[in-house]
This record gives sequence, structure tokens and C-alpha cells, in this order.
Amino acid sequence: MMHRWLLSAALLFSFVAMPAGVGVAAQNAPAQKPAGAKAGAVTVQIDKTELKNGGTIMITGKAPRGKPVFIEVFAERTVRASRFDADVDKETKKRPYIFYMTHEMPAYYKIFAPKDRKEAIDKEKKEGKKWSVSKVLKDTGADAVYSAPTKIKIDRYQATLVGSIIGSRGSIMPAMDDKDNARRSMQLLKARFRSLDKVLGAAVDVAPDGSFKAEVKIRSGLAPGKYTIVAAVDKATKSAPVTFENKISFPLLYLKNGGTSLNLIGPFLLTLAVAIFGVLMGAGGGFILNPLLVSIWPLPHTIVAGTVMPTVLFSQGSGIYNYSKIKFISWKLGVAIGLSMVVGGFIGPKMTELITLEQFKFVFGWILIILAGLMFWQTTPKYLATNKKEQAILKEFKRKAEESARKK
Amino acid sequence: MIVQFWGQEFKVNIVVGCIGGFLIAIVSSMFGFGGGPFMVPLMTVVLGLPMYVVVGSSLLAIFFNTLMGTMRHYQFGNFDGLFFLIMFPAAILGGWIAPKIAQRVSPTVVKRVAVAGLLILALNLLGVY
Repeated sequence: MMHRWLLSAALLFSFVAMPAGVGVAAQNAPAQKPAGAKAGAVTVQIDKTELKNGGTIMITGKAPRGKPVFIEVFAERTVRASRFDADVDKETKKRPYIFYMTHEMPAYYKIFAPKDRKEAIDKEKKEGKKWSVSKVLKDTGADAVYSAPTKIKIDRYQATLVGSIIGSRGSIMPAMDDKDNARRSMQLLKARFRSLDKVLGAAVDVAPDGSFKAEVKIRSGLAPGKYTIVAAVDKATKSAPVTFENKISFPLLYLKNGGTSLNLIGPFLLTLAVAIFGVLMGAGGGFILNPLLVSIWPLPHTIVAGTVMPTVLFSQGSGIYNYSKIKFISWKLGVAIGLSMVVGGFIGPKMTELITLEQFKFVFGWILIILAGLMFWQTTPKYLATNKKEQAILKEFKRKAEESARKK
Repeated sequence: MIVQFWGQEFKVNIVVGCIGGFLIAIVSSMFGFGGGPFMVPLMTVVLGLPMYVVVGSSLLAIFFNTLMGTMRHYQFGNFDGLFFLIMFPAAILGGWIAPKIAQRVSPTVVKRVAVAGLLILALNLLGVY
């Protein structure tokens, strides 16, 4: 019996100890210069080579007369993006259940289109959350110049129900061909950047003689480092890349896994306030903290869930230590239920990456309504009356426990 | 299962407790919170245990879940070290400040404020406004 326990514990830990391939290899730059780009046909200049946490850059240049000019801007830093494809396939009428994941998504990517494409962009915006990258790129003609994300390495896993339950991403599938890779990169682009405005905008003024200019706004809170600008009129006719540097300085910090720069004071004060409030109302702060974090900052929900959890760990640990000092824990009861919770805790984090931010928010909304109901019930007069007695007994027991702990 | 606690014996339906704990663990590790506010009602209302047995033992039970959830999130690359270093000191500081003001505020009032706050936040998440 004992051997079996040891074996399963060892198995468990070998599972846990294999994050190497998952979290680390994230900093490969995406492939940049397309082969056979005709240099010279399009030229581009920028008015500054350094920004401080975003700003405006004036891009000017010259392109062949009468052609639309698109400007592609992307960061050298990369982030992780993932998407679980469970939509019914139009051809096979089946749900594919494939999990797509990349570590090479540029931390910033945006195409600036000629100003006359604004209408097509606005039309797609009316789709709300259902907007599609491939459709809007096609409608605006920007698909011809969509290039930097097409060559990122995308892994895909065939997910299964059993696999998800035992916490496996599923078996890895063969690499996709270039066309498929480009198509999936568009879906991952949406999964990462969520809103259309962050990926595509109409900003380029093109004069009849082919000269163009664009005032490009780089928003704040982005990754620091090198950004590349390429102007193009079609797949083969591109400018040589020009680069600028986005600098951020303390107290702004760049969260590598979150792909976001933020002022550290914000999350610090929020966590402080929520932690105090949490202790006062007798519940941990994670309930309030997580939804606020994903609502205020453009952080992925996976990162928020995965980073708040260890924060809670220590307050729980110190609580257990304090109770155990006065022998105020039933170890038998705690461990018995705890073992079933270990299994649940093994499954849950896998599910986090299968859902989108919208689904995360939706389910969290209902969890909070249930929690509000529980809290309300705890303020009803009947509950308060029983609780008063319970608390008196609790205090009495605690006093006894503390006394006997002191005697020893 | 019979649980002994300070000379008293309690009969616990451990099957119900484990199923409930399992479900709470999935949801809480999926969404990254502790799970205490769900665990305490489960053990008091559903399992019928008195508060003084529950306070410590529920904490021990959810600690198992939080520990496993933390390791799994780390394995999937969901952990951001710098972000943790921002939030962790704030959480510790909050845990130190809160008991000092706890005597001056009524827990019932705090809970009523929490109910209102939670509902506002929930409606926002559900996209009502």
C-alpha cells in the first residue's frame, strides 16, 4: 500500500516538474524580412527613434504612384498566445477540439491602413466581439501585407476530454503548412489583442504622387524594446525596415508573461485594499482581486489566475500555522477533504487556458452573484443570532486551546 | 467518518464533503482564488459541523488545493514572477493592517458593503452595464 502511494506521489511530481518547454522558450523574435522584398520601391522615414512608454511617431515615405500604402508595426519582444478551437467546422460539421499555442506572438502588432479604408474597418467593428482578423484584413486589402506574425511557430494539440481531466494538453499534431499557419496566426492575434482597434487602424494619408505620411500613435503600457516599421503596397513591394525603441522606466515595469507594462503602484494599492477588505469580511481577496485585475489592465486571465493563487498560499499557510500552534485543526477532517481538493486543483488550471477572457468574466460574474448571496445570508438576523452563539462557543474553545498551549 | 475535536465527536459524511471539496477546488483553481467562502458554508451547513471545528480545518483543506493549483499554473507558464513580487508584499501588508482596524468596524457592515460591491462587480463582468 505504502509503495503505491509513493509511486503515485512520484508520478505527480514528475508531472509538475516538466514546465521547461512550456514557460521558458518565449523570447524568440518573429521572422522579419520577407524573402525577395524589393528594396527601393518603397521608402520610409520616421521622425524619432525613441519613445517613452508610447507616444506619437510621424512616418513619411514614398511609394509607387496610385498604390495603397500599409504600414506594419511590431515589437521585437514576444508573448504567449493560445486559443482553444471548439467551434463546429463548416465542412466536417464536427468540433475539432484543437488547442493552438505560440510563444512567438509579437508583444505589439498593428497594421495602419490608408485612411480611405476606415469604412471597412468600422463595418467589421459593428460585429462586436465576433469580429474576425482574416475578414477585416481581406476587406481592407491589408491581407496582402500581413506578414510578421505569419511565420511564428504555432504548436497545436489534439485535446481530448480524458486528457483535459488528467490535465494534459493532448498529443502534439504535425506542424501546419505556411497557409494554415498564417490563418491560425490571425486567430491567435485576436485571442491575444482582443479588440480590432489594437490590430488595425486607418491612419495613412497617400498623395496622388505616391508620397505618404501617417501620424501613428503607439499606446502606453506596451512592451519595451525594439519596434520595427515596414511600409508596403503589396506582398512583394516593401520598404526596408526601420526601427525605434520604446523605453519604459521605473515605476513602470514590464511583465514578461503578461506582455504588459504597468505602473507597479496600481496593482500594489489594489492588492493592499482588497487584502484588508478580504480579511475584514472573512474571505480571501482573490474573488475581488482577479476580476478587477483583468478589467483594469490588459492582462491575460491565465496570468492573473496563475499569479494570484500563490499570493493566497502564504496567508493560508500562516493561518494554518497559527491554528496548529493551539491545536485548533482537525487534521483528519482537513486532510480527508484536502485530498479530494488536490485532485480538483490538478484539473482546474488546465481549464483556465481553454476558456476565453469573455467566458472567464461571464462565469466569474455568476460566481460573484452566488458569493454575494452567501454574504447576504450571513447578514440576515436569523444567521446573526445563531452565529453569535457559535462565535461565543468558538471563543471559549479558542481560549481553552490557547491556555493549554501555553501550559506546555 | 468520525472526527474528534477537543473531546467531542462528530459524524461527518465524508463522501459529500469530498465531492463538494472536489468541485470547489476545480472552480477555485480555474479562476485563481482561495475558496474559503465556499468551503466554510459547505462544512457548516451541508456537513453540519460547528464553526469552531471548521475555521482551522477548512483552511487546511483549501491549502491543499491552492498548493496544487499553484504548481499546475506554474507548469502551464501562467505565473509572472514580477507581478507576484508586486502583489505579494501588498497582500502581507494587508494581512498585517486589517486586524488592527478590525475591532473598529462591524463585520456585518463590512459584509453588507461586500454584498453591494460584489453585485456591482458581477453585473459589470456579465456585461449588464
